[in-house]
Amino acid sequence: MSEKTITRRDALLGAGAIGAVGAGALAGAGVIGLVGSEEPAGEPVVVAAFRSGGIPVEDPAAAAWDDAPEATVPLAAQQVAPPRLPYAGVADLRVRALHDGETVAFRLQWEDAEVSDLDGVHRFHDAVAVMLPTRAGTPPAITMGAAGSPTHILQWRATWERDLAGKTGVDQLYPRVVHDVMPDDVLPPATARLYWVGRAAGNPLSQKERTTPIEQIVAEGFGTTTHLPRDDARGHGVHDGSSWTVALGFPSRREGIGAPLDPGLTWSVAFAVWIGEQANRGGRKHYANWVPFRLAARA
Amino acid sequence: MPRVSNWQLGRDMEYPYEGSRPKRQFCMIMDTNKCIACQSCTIACKSTWTWGKGQEYMLWNNIETKPFGFYPTGWDVNVLDRLSEQSWDGDTYAGKTLFEAAPDGERVLGWTPDEEDWNYPNIGEDEPTGDADTVPYLEDAPHSMMWMYYLQRICNHCTYPACVAACPREAIYKRPEDGVVLVDQERCRGYQECLTACPYKKTMFNLETRVSEKCIGCYPKLEQGLQTQCTTACIGRLRLTNYLSRPDEIDPRKPADYLVHVKRIALPLYPQLGLEPNVYYVPPVHVPVDYLTQMFGPGVEQAIATYRNAKDDPELLGLLMLFGSTERIIDTFDVKDGVARGYDEEGKEIVAVPLREPTFVRPLEFATELAGEPATGFRHNT
Repeated sequence: MSEKTITRRDALLGAGAIGAVGAGALAGAGVIGLVGSEEPAGEPVVVAAFRSGGIPVEDPAAAAWDDAPEATVPLAAQQVAPPRLPYAGVADLRVRALHDGETVAFRLQWEDAEVSDLDGVHRFHDAVAVMLPTRAGTPPAITMGAAGSPTHILQWRATWERDLAGKTGVDQLYPRVVHDVMPDDVLPPATARLYWVGRAAGNPLSQKERTTPIEQIVAEGFGTTTHLPRDDARGHGVHDGSSWTVALGFPSRREGIGAPLDPGLTWSVAFAVWIGEQANRGGRKHYANWVPFRLAARA
Repeated sequence: MPRVSNWQLGRDMEYPYEGSRPKRQFCMIMDTNKCIACQSCTIACKSTWTWGKGQEYMLWNNIETKPFGFYPTGWDVNVLDRLSEQSWDGDTYAGKTLFEAAPDGERVLGWTPDEEDWNYPNIGEDEPTGDADTVPYLEDAPHSMMWMYYLQRICNHCTYPACVAACPREAIYKRPEDGVVLVDQERCRGYQECLTACPYKKTMFNLETRVSEKCIGCYPKLEQGLQTQCTTACIGRLRLTNYLSRPDEIDPRKPADYLVHVKRIALPLYPQLGLEPNVYYVPPVHVPVDYLTQMFGPGVEQAIATYRNAKDDPELLGLLMLFGSTERIIDTFDVKDGVARGYDEEGKEIVAVPLREPTFVRPLEFATELAGEPATGFRHNT
C-alpha cells in the first residue's frame, strides 16, 4: 500500500485554515498538489478502503487494517485560541480508514510512552478525536466549526476504556484510600446519587456506566462541544509501551448528525491528540488540520 | 479586552467579559479577631456538601493559620510570587492585576497546585513566626515578633471571577440575583482551567464525577433568607452572611454596606489580584501592618483603629454583636437605647441583642450569712 505524507506546513496552510484563507482557494493551490507522488494531484490524502465482510472497529490489531493505505498527518500544538498548548509533545498521527458501505472506521496511531488513563487533580487522560464536516464540500473552520457550520466529532478517551473495565474513580487513583461513611453506605440510592452532582445532573463525563469508549459530539466552534446521547460509535484502544493504537467506527449514515458519508462526495477529516501526562485537555491539544478524505467505491 | 470598574482598586481594569454587576452581591464578613480555629465551620460545610465519594480532599470552607498555614500548600505566596512586587498609590492600585499580568495566550496569570498540595490542610497550624532566627519555614521572615492568626476561607464569589474568565466552555456563571458563582455541573468537562486560574484555589475537581465543584454559598439557604452553614455553625460568632449593594447604591442601614463602605473595617482578601472578592475581613489587631497591607490592601491601619474604638461606637458595637445572633439574613439594622436590632426585608424585627447584658452583683455578706458562715468570701456551688 502506498504511504502518503503531508508536511506540517501543508497541514497548517491546508484547506479550511482559520481566518481569511479560503479553503477552496487552497484546495487548488497547495495541499493536494503536495500529497505523495503516488497519489495523483487532486486526490485525497486519507482514503477509506472498501472492505466487505465486517470492519474491525473494536480491534485495532486486526489484519483487515492492512488493506487500508496509511497516511501520516502532522500534529501541531493548538495556539489559535486560549487556552493554548505551549509546545507540541507528539509530531504526527498515522491514520488508516476502512468502510463497508454501512460503517466508517479509522485506526489511529501516535507515540506516547506513558499511559494516562485516570482523571484526578491535575491528572489528565490520553485521548484522540476525529472531526468530520456534517456536509460534503468545503469544510468548516478548523476551530471545531463555526456558528451555522457544525462539525461531527468522535472522541476516544483512555479513561473511558477504564470505565468499561470498572476501574476508575477514587479507589483506582488511591488504591489504599480508607473511606469514612459515604452517602451510598447510609442513604437510599436515589438520594445518595445526589451527592455525585455531575452524575445526577446528567453530565455525560460523570457517568461511569458506559457501553462504548467513544463519545460523539457536535460543535460549532471552540467551547461549544455538545454531547450526543447515542452509543452507535464503537472503538477500542491498546497501548504497546510506546504508542497508542485506537480503532473507532460509526454508522456512515450519520442519522440526526449530518449528511451520509457517501463515497461519491468530497469530504475532509481533521484530528486531535491529547497527551495526558503533559496536561493536555480541552483546547490544550494537538491538532491536525483538515485533509481531504475519500471513501473508496465498492469493490 | 473590555474594561470594568473595580472599586477595591479605585480604578478600571481589564477583564475578558463586560462588567455586569448582580442586583445585590452575596458576601461574608469575617472578624478574624474572634476565630479560635475550632473548624466548626469546616465540619458544617463538609458534612452538608462534600461528604460524597470523590470529594474526600475538598474543603470548600477551611481555616488556616497565617502566615504558615495554607490550603492548598503555598496558595497565596505562589500567586504573589508570580505576580511579583506591585504597589498602591494611596487607595488606588498602581500595579497589575492577574488579568493584566496574564502571559501571552492565557486569560489569567495562574498557578497550578500539585496533587500533593491539597493533602495537608492543617500544615502550619498554630505556628507563630517565632523569632526570625529560628523560624521553621522562611529564611527571611519579615519581623521577629511572635504572632499568628486564623484566616477563614470560602469562595470569594468574586465580582470578576478568574474561574469564569478562564473556563473555555463558559461553564461557570455568576447568578444575577445574588452574585453567587456556580459551576454548571452538566456543562463542565473537567478541564480544570479554573483550578489554575482561581488565585484563592476555591474550585476543586471531583474525583468521581470528574468535573469541578466549588462553594455554592449555601444558595438553597440564601433562597430561604438564611445565612450559610459555616456562618450559623460558628461558635465564635465571627461571621455574617449578608448582601453588599452596588457601589453606587450603598445603604448604611444594611450591615455589609455599613461595615465595608461606611466604617471600612472589613477589607477584601488580596484585592490587588483584581477579582473584587466578596469575603471581607476585619483584620487581626495584633499582626504587623505591612503583612496585613499585603493581604488586605491599604485600609488596614484605619480598619484596626476603628475596630479598637468599637467600645465607644455603639452603632458599630451593636452590629458586631448581631453576628451569630440569628440564622436569618439581616437586611437592615439599627442600634437604639442600648439594643441592636436586625430586620428582614419587610422591615420586620428578627433579632434584638442588648449591648450590655444585665449584671447582678451579690453582696459579700449576703452569700456568706445565708450559709451561716463567717464573711470570709463568696461561696459558689453550695
